[in-house]
Amino acid sequence: MSETETRPAEARHPAPFLRVEEAPAPRLEPVAPIALPEPRLRPRLPLTLIGATVLVVGLPALWAAGFVADQFARGAALGWFTLAIALLGLGLVGGAILRELRGLFRIATVDQLRDALASGDPARVRGAARRWARLVPEAGAVLPALDAVADPAAMLALLQAGPGAALRARADALGRNAALQAGAIIAATPSPALDGLAVGWRGLRLVRQVAALHGLRPGLLGTLALLRRTALAAAGVAATELAVNAAAHALLSNKLLQHVLGDVAGAGVAARRLVVLARAVGIACSPLAPE
Amino acid sequence: MPFADALGPRRVRIGVTGLARSGKTALLTSIAANLLALGAGRPALPALAARLGGRRVRVATAPAAATGLPRFDVSRHLAALVADPPRWPERTEAASLLALDLDLPRAGLAASLPPRRLRLEFLDYPGEWLLDLPLLARSFAEWSAAALRRLEAPETAPVARDFLGFLRGLPAAAPGDETLAATGHALYRTALHRLRDEVGLSFLQPGRFLMPAPGPEPPWMAFFPMTGGGPLAGLLRARFDAYLQAVRRDLVSPLFGDLDRLVVLADVLAALHAGPAAFADAAAALGAASEALRWRRGWADWLGWETLEALLALRLPSFGISRVAYVATKADHVAARQRGNLAALTRRLTAAPREGVASAAFAVAAVRCTEDVVETLEGRPVSAVRGRRLPDGRMLRSYPGEVPDTPPDAAFWAHPFLDLPVFEPVRPPDVGRGGVPQIGLDEMLGFLLEDLL
Repeated sequence: MSETETRPAEARHPAPFLRVEEAPAPRLEPVAPIALPEPRLRPRLPLTLIGATVLVVGLPALWAAGFVADQFARGAALGWFTLAIALLGLGLVGGAILRELRGLFRIATVDQLRDALASGDPARVRGAARRWARLVPEAGAVLPALDAVADPAAMLALLQAGPGAALRARADALGRNAALQAGAIIAATPSPALDGLAVGWRGLRLVRQVAALHGLRPGLLGTLALLRRTALAAAGVAATELAVNAAAHALLSNKLLQHVLGDVAGAGVAARRLVVLARAVGIACSPLAPE
Repeated sequence: MPFADALGPRRVRIGVTGLARSGKTALLTSIAANLLALGAGRPALPALAARLGGRRVRVATAPAAATGLPRFDVSRHLAALVADPPRWPERTEAASLLALDLDLPRAGLAASLPPRRLRLEFLDYPGEWLLDLPLLARSFAEWSAAALRRLEAPETAPVARDFLGFLRGLPAAAPGDETLAATGHALYRTALHRLRDEVGLSFLQPGRFLMPAPGPEPPWMAFFPMTGGGPLAGLLRARFDAYLQAVRRDLVSPLFGDLDRLVVLADVLAALHAGPAAFADAAAALGAASEALRWRRGWADWLGWETLEALLALRLPSFGISRVAYVATKADHVAARQRGNLAALTRRLTAAPREGVASAAFAVAAVRCTEDVVETLEGRPVSAVRGRRLPDGRMLRSYPGEVPDTPPDAAFWAHPFLDLPVFEPVRPPDVGRGGVPQIGLDEMLGFLLEDLL
């Protein structure tokens, strides 16, 4: 280290100095990692579930193989016929499992798209928009405009204003439809005990409808995963509470509906919940940040 | 929904002012980057996050709407900081506006209500304009006498020689001629620019001569200080009065005035290095600026068009500045041990604001560029800072001297304070999306927004 400048100072204070380090040094990094991205915890399938799946799939397959072998021992024609039935049945089951897995993976692609859209890298944002356009036709309309801009913030603004707004409007419309139907179902249900069941069924259907709107076609497992994501996205819905309130108010101000629902306790609350649910599922299924 | 929210987001306008090179652009860039990072859930601005008490605030850049003010270009300035090798953001020559929308979840019993929307408007307010406020209490004759006395001082007279020569050559009863007024104005303006750039003075009036308002210059700007009577002096006096009217109008205009809070920046460390004359001048400018904040709108102003316009726009008319933060910038050029002294010194240099205005002094590094180290000097440990110098990239260890906690006396000036090197900024995490490393900025924002959080 070489001393470049030192000045005398009062006895009670050290002399000022400015020293140059001889060894080259890299650019300074933040002393404490003040802003590392939070690691995302990816859900892992528990071993029990994997074991159960192996048993549920493997044992019937072994049983079917043994049964087919036995049938071949009885006669070739009978064996071939049994094999065809077993393959058809198992194939259909396998197809259903594949469809479930594909639905699950599609939901996972939303996370990948979110990461890419938030990367700040124009090429990655553009690529993510193209992949999203394969799922959602509405996104295809803004692709030429995206090619014309280089600023990631402008690209996100285009996506929010175009497909984002369109999908939100359509999800809201689905929520309002579901709310109307739920109100009618509750009014027509003979027992209040069945109200919850009826609204639950309509809510589940609404989840799948909004998911399909976003290009996701979840099966049973996919719907369960989507419900979990929707619960997490519910915090985001708090921010849109005002909009939801306005939508629910517009819906419930229908004179006929007021007449029908006015006497049915809880129908208004259920209707409002479905409007909120549609908004929350929309947030869970969209790679764009909620507005 | 609370009634106030039905009228739209609450707008809070914060003026950020400081004389040239005090670090306004870096401060605004850091505020924007860190607030946006906080809104994205990153651990930026820890002191502000602590005040929020776990509430998750959402932050977005507000749309520009139809204002005539240029927007502060955050992405361009942030790109300069994250570049490799980094650059300091370019100086902004004109006033600009940084507007952010905050969705603040409510606290306590109101937590179940929808979040409250707050629009923070940070106005890059030219510090030179703040120095015009003391003019409001002066007549043309008083201002002229004070300005000429200052120009004739031994350290400034050589720089203002041309203007002083012109003034001495004017006859006692000079006619109110436009050419004479324009020539004298041009010479005075040149003298002001040279005093700022060559002598390093800050307390130069009128401020709009150094930092003009956008748009074409009105003819009443052409005046200069002149003692005595006569038609020319009468013309200059009338123009001086028109200038003061414009200053008053700007103070309450929706474009440049209407400030709710104010941040006054000062490069106190550079003033310590510049020597007793420059330090006294900077201290006088800072004192005058804070003194000017005692200015209060009269009843005639309250009953004017601006108040009516505000009410028609469904917003409350401004009740004036309620909080002032005095900020000593570049605080990372001294070690943590000395930053308390730096804030205390800044506090001493500013007058206490009028009753009802909260004020505090802070030592802030909006964009941190050093780390603290301990050096051994003659067997004694000394707190110093370490950073890479621009443009050669050499690593320096610097201890510029002891920062006093009171205005320095003659003994201090016997041992000059070292010049501050230009360090390169610490790398912002995650290409700026994680905020910008800072010192004291979160505490300053916490103070400014304390009653709103």
